Amino acid sequence: MKAIEKYIEALKKCDNKALAETFAIDGTLRDYCPNSTGRQEYHVYGREAIDMFFKNKFTFRQYLISDAEIVNDTQAEFVASIGGYYVMAIATVRRVDENGLITRLTVRPK
Amino acid sequence: MGVYVVTGGSSGIGAAAVEILKKDGHEVINVDLKNGDICANLATQEGRDAAIAAIYERCQDGLDGIICNAGVSGNCGNLELVISLNYFGTVRLARGLYDLLKKKAGSVVVTVSNTISQGTGRMDIVDLLNNVGDEQRIRNIVKNLDANNQTVGQAIYMATKYALARWVRRVSASWAANGVRVNAVAPGNVRTAMTDSLSDAAKFAVSALPIPVRYGSDALMDPEEIAESMKFLLSKAARGVNGIILFTDGGTDALLNSEKVY
Repeated sequence: MKAIEKYIEALKKCDNKALAETFAIDGTLRDYCPNSTGRQEYHVYGREAIDMFFKNKFTFRQYLISDAEIVNDTQAEFVASIGGYYVMAIATVRRVDENGLITRLTVRPK
Repeated sequence: MGVYVVTGGSSGIGAAAVEILKKDGHEVINVDLKNGDICANLATQEGRDAAIAAIYERCQDGLDGIICNAGVSGNCGNLELVISLNYFGTVRLARGLYDLLKKKAGSVVVTVSNTISQGTGRMDIVDLLNNVGDEQRIRNIVKNLDANNQTVGQAIYMATKYALARWVRRVSASWAANGVRVNAVAPGNVRTAMTDSLSDAAKFAVSALPIPVRYGSDALMDPEEIAESMKFLLSKAARGVNGIILFTDGGTDALLNSEKVY
């Protein structure tokens, strides 16, 4: 399973632990989609932070995805629900380490 | 040594603050509903007036500082109490003691909450608190809300804390110009009687506000950690610090709001 697929599976299941495990220990996630909903974008640095951050978002149902589609080896599209607002998003795995773990991932509005 | 007032000093963060200040040799007056040096109900104007009168009686030379900490959670089932104690119990008391604070160039520390950064509060209530300040009218408004709905309770609780933080920011300049610094501490989720008494659902919600310095455990912040921040803000070491909200939450706010630079 490629990193982008693991990332999408974890998001679909709202599994913060699995999501964090797709990232390298110092992996970063940058999500610009919240800007489209009047919120500040997400910049989450490090595996533990990703775990904690998404525990919060998933528990309070502040970040959900639907209609996900893998586009290619590094990209996927989905509809993100951010605090109840919908954004068509495209996630891109920018870099992975030698173990296939994500070191940099960006999510932008499509 | 100084003379300090702590509200809600009989338990939790307040009790830790009383202990830490006393350990440093200060005189501390605990104002609380029960077991206080001054027993007063700060949720009522009569109680606040009585507390202020008693403090004036005891501290005629002035006050070095007050920690306004008394409050209840949004799950207490009484939204009027949340409004009257959390917000008015602080600002009316602080205003009532202002002249005593000016005498000694004292300092005010207000307890808010890191929930202020979660964005789930009722901003209309915040505006009413800060801009109208009519306690009875606001009580009448929240009386009609569902006090047993946890989401509603949390939204009103957060509104009182947000309004307190904004009050700190608004008054800090003029009060500092008169020698009185005003700051707030925003604790993360702290182990107190309030958090011990939460329902299972509320405890689950609390666990979803992760505390980075406690990563990997379910432990909450200790009251002493918050009290140490309060002590710092009251101290001369913080003489240049005014009008800030000091997040003492182990990094929760930074985790969830990294782009917000206050």
